[in-house]
Amino acid sequence: MAITKSDIEHLCGLSKLNLDDDEIPIYLQQMTDILEMIEQLQSADTDEIIPMAHPLDMHQRLREDTVIDTNDRDIYQKNSLNAEEGFYKVPKVIE
Amino acid sequence: MHWETVIGLEIHVQLACDSKIFSSASTVYGNEQNTQASLIDLGYPGVLPVLNKEAVMMAIKFGLAVDAEIADLSIFARKNYFYPDLPKGYQISQYELPIVSHGKLVITLDDGTDKRIGITRAHLEEDAGKSIHDKFSDTTAIDLNRAGTPLLEIVSEPELSSAKEAILYMQKIHQLVRYLKISDGNMQEGSFRCDANVSLKQKESTELGTRAEIKNINSFRFVESAINFEVDRQKEILEQGGSVVQETRLYDSDAKETRSMRTKEEANDYRYFPDPDLLPVKIDKEVIEKITASLPELFDQKVDRYVSTLSIKRVDAIEIAKNIELAEYFEDALNTYNGNPQLLANWMLTEVMAILNKDKIEIANLSITAQSLSQLIQRIDDGTISSTIAKNIFSQLIESEMDVDELIKEQGLEQISDTTEIEKIVITVLNEHQEQKDQYLAGKEQVLGFLIGKVMQKTQGKANPKLVNDLMVKILSNN
Amino acid sequence: MERFTVKAIQNMLSNKQINSAELFDLYSSRITDYDQTFNAFITNDVEPNVEYITDDKNQESPSDSALTGIPYAAKDIFCTQGIRTTCGSKMLEDFIPPYDATVIKNLKKQGAVLLGKTNMDEFAMGSSNETSYFGSVHNPWDIERTPGGSSGGSAAAVAAGLAPIALGTDTGGSIRQPAAFTGITGLKPTYGRCSRYGMVAFASSLDQAGILALSAEDTAIFLESMAGFDPLDSTSVEESVPQYSQYLEENIRGKIIGLPKEFFDGSLASPYETLIAESIDSYKKLGIVFKEISLPNIGYSVPTYYVVAPAECSSNLARYDGVRFGYRSQNIEDLDEFYRTNRQIGFGEEVKRRIITGTYVLSAGYYDAYYLKAQKVRQLINQDFERAFESVDIILGPTTQTSAFKLGEKVDDPVSMYMNDIYTISSNLAGLPAISHPIGFVEGLPYGLQLIAPHFKEHHLLSLTHQYQKVTDWHQITPKLSMSSESNN
Repeated sequence: MAITKSDIEHLCGLSKLNLDDDEIPIYLQQMTDILEMIEQLQSADTDEIIPMAHPLDMHQRLREDTVIDTNDRDIYQKNSLNAEEGFYKVPKVIE
Repeated sequence: MHWETVIGLEIHVQLACDSKIFSSASTVYGNEQNTQASLIDLGYPGVLPVLNKEAVMMAIKFGLAVDAEIADLSIFARKNYFYPDLPKGYQISQYELPIVSHGKLVITLDDGTDKRIGITRAHLEEDAGKSIHDKFSDTTAIDLNRAGTPLLEIVSEPELSSAKEAILYMQKIHQLVRYLKISDGNMQEGSFRCDANVSLKQKESTELGTRAEIKNINSFRFVESAINFEVDRQKEILEQGGSVVQETRLYDSDAKETRSMRTKEEANDYRYFPDPDLLPVKIDKEVIEKITASLPELFDQKVDRYVSTLSIKRVDAIEIAKNIELAEYFEDALNTYNGNPQLLANWMLTEVMAILNKDKIEIANLSITAQSLSQLIQRIDDGTISSTIAKNIFSQLIESEMDVDELIKEQGLEQISDTTEIEKIVITVLNEHQEQKDQYLAGKEQVLGFLIGKVMQKTQGKANPKLVNDLMVKILSNN
Repeated sequence: MERFTVKAIQNMLSNKQINSAELFDLYSSRITDYDQTFNAFITNDVEPNVEYITDDKNQESPSDSALTGIPYAAKDIFCTQGIRTTCGSKMLEDFIPPYDATVIKNLKKQGAVLLGKTNMDEFAMGSSNETSYFGSVHNPWDIERTPGGSSGGSAAAVAAGLAPIALGTDTGGSIRQPAAFTGITGLKPTYGRCSRYGMVAFASSLDQAGILALSAEDTAIFLESMAGFDPLDSTSVEESVPQYSQYLEENIRGKIIGLPKEFFDGSLASPYETLIAESIDSYKKLGIVFKEISLPNIGYSVPTYYVVAPAECSSNLARYDGVRFGYRSQNIEDLDEFYRTNRQIGFGEEVKRRIITGTYVLSAGYYDAYYLKAQKVRQLINQDFERAFESVDIILGPTTQTSAFKLGEKVDDPVSMYMNDIYTISSNLAGLPAISHPIGFVEGLPYGLQLIAPHFKEHHLLSLTHQYQKVTDWHQITPKLSMSSESNN
């Protein structure tokens, strides 16, 4: 499947990435090469095969519903350049 | 053109777990911003989710209560999108293999008929944080305390045909989750949130129309007006030959209308895939059997039991059972009560309800214990006091906790049931009120009430009303 | 510059030839004096993170814990409390984690002391350590060449004697390939053997923490302390941790090693083929029996990996938005622009490329053809291994196609870079443990061989490698350090 410039733009929209105008043709070429390589998968016979999401055949362990109370907010918020009064701040969202 | 309304409800229920679904932070409501957001809830580099057992058990409880299938293996999936209240840039939810599917709920319509509403699925997921737009002037404030709170999303089939039916369904789910004690159902605090998918279809057609999703309706009242507005809006569009846009709309309770949401949603491709940090959840038969055995009595069973074993009128049983906490108080009182259950039920529905409404409190905050109430009603039932006196005692108990029997003794409130004594008083009253006596004898029977009232006055309300009535009639007829 | 093994260090400490503080200083100074040449470290001015090391150089070291006094380096992908953790990215350039990764905690508990955080391909995406925001790492054997990636810094540090041992991570070969390129031993344990908590995620179903060391013996010593069940990691396995060092001398005679015909299809250039053949002879002399096997679907490894890994990473890296931590542009008023700018500036090209690829293969209309298909092919590959292990104990193959390539040679050709992983990727897909150890030199550059074992059979990998290392000395040959006036070897 040939990937187009508008595909790249759409994917950037979904993944919140910006590419400069002069970068796009490069990415487009590289993506084309990558997708061509990936296309090899189509020749594998996978009828009746169950997809594998984990290498080990295990089931989810369940955790007891106990609260471990750590309020380290002030330590954590040292990492955020824009925290105020305990809130994280982002550009205004219009709903 | 005959249009039929088609409604499906998606209800998000916050589960009453102490800790979050994937982390051990607390889920308590209302604390200072970001004091209950652990590294896992904040989506820090390197952290990983571990599933809360209680959330799973609660989901299973719900599934069993709606006769649904509990998945032997269910999978958590990532729903990928960017929003400031979603720290990881994805929500851990369930997509292809939810824990609960193919359930049902029966609602009773106003005309008394039952309608079966299918529950397509119920799945576990994590709640997002909160965006507060009016805290700061030029930025949005984010509080992630709520991020990671366990949610059960309950999706109905599009089988509700009116706003009324939607409300009945919603109320029934609300009651159920409280009965099961899997949620406090507190709509003000966001523990119970409803989205409605509304569309119209032509009466004879089997094809469903395009639907609009109305988000975050947070009271029963709003459900009705939101849906009705939306139905009218869509009808107008369709009748003018236009088409309904598939979109998300917000209900504005002040303007009483739904408005299109400008941002996000539109063409959001969530790119669901199984979360590689979590493994498939396996539910063994033994676990299901254990939970089935521990399911509490549900509303319908409770009503039937009140009617059949306690001989309470169905309409009263329904009123009491509607609120699980009221029912539990009632049953608590019954434990120490040997009298007629209907009498206790009457008091629950009149005097007790009156206080709850007047003081705007929940039964959990009522100052009279179930034991005290039980004692009080017992004394009416066994004739120790009259119901008039009981009302007096009841209002005293509201002010301060006292032993009922002691109070009766101290204040000399025992009923007077001595026939001789009452006769004397009856005769005295009749002598004092010749005019009314003559009126009665002349055929004006309603005067009896006046005369009985006078006897009650003379006895400070302590005379046994039935005895007074019988003796009064007897004496008058002997004249 | 003499490279001390962990084993040798333990002896020196117990013989009181040196104490922990002196040892820490020795390596710290080496890093300060020589790392400009290699750029193996991103952060190297750390204070010792264990209490028993003090300024008093005369103090004796406590000897109660397994790794007391042993200095080690950690790939900068492991969260270290209070110590900057960058993942080789501008996005986390100033990030100081408030917590330790579980494996770091485990090592701390046993007394090991952190020397510094090593350079790596950005967010572990790369095979040459050229995608790091902090500059490329140079191979101690030839500084114009790559040490491999993504654990290039850890490999270079150990190979150059700047650290006796180092932690790395392996998602598609990122421990084994650098080990092969730098002439050291690199182990990727079974998936779930070591905790992933605190190890910044790239591809969650493939990532594993592992070790780069001078010998199998050293690897065994460290793995004992590192590995183990972690309740904070749902993918962590409740399998008890063997005393790996006890297995090093186990009887390996009669063990059957499978040679997949797909790995030996004549595509290796003859100098490399010769080295492999010679190692096979060495193993035969140790009593190993060889058998040809087939892993028919192994050819799909690279395309499978390059669907699964980018898909998972595109989602794992969505949390880097500048809101709670990480790079954040100032003065942007639109939320969408805010996200996009932070991520445009914070991430490098390879990361962006993989995010875009991952988003593509998960997107509506493509999920079935790509992601779902890849997970099915993954199952096929897994089944190939299961079938093979019914008749053999271990599988052997090359680690890489060639020895280290030149820096800059493949940066513009991603697919060619990806093909580097051709021998290593399949064990990540199947979650199998695998080790690479040096087997000789081609034109002065090291070359390695790979052994793959069934789940939780790391001890066989270690015993085989150890006994090979007893009868060969490839792993003891030290690179000349160009900045050093000392001769070596």
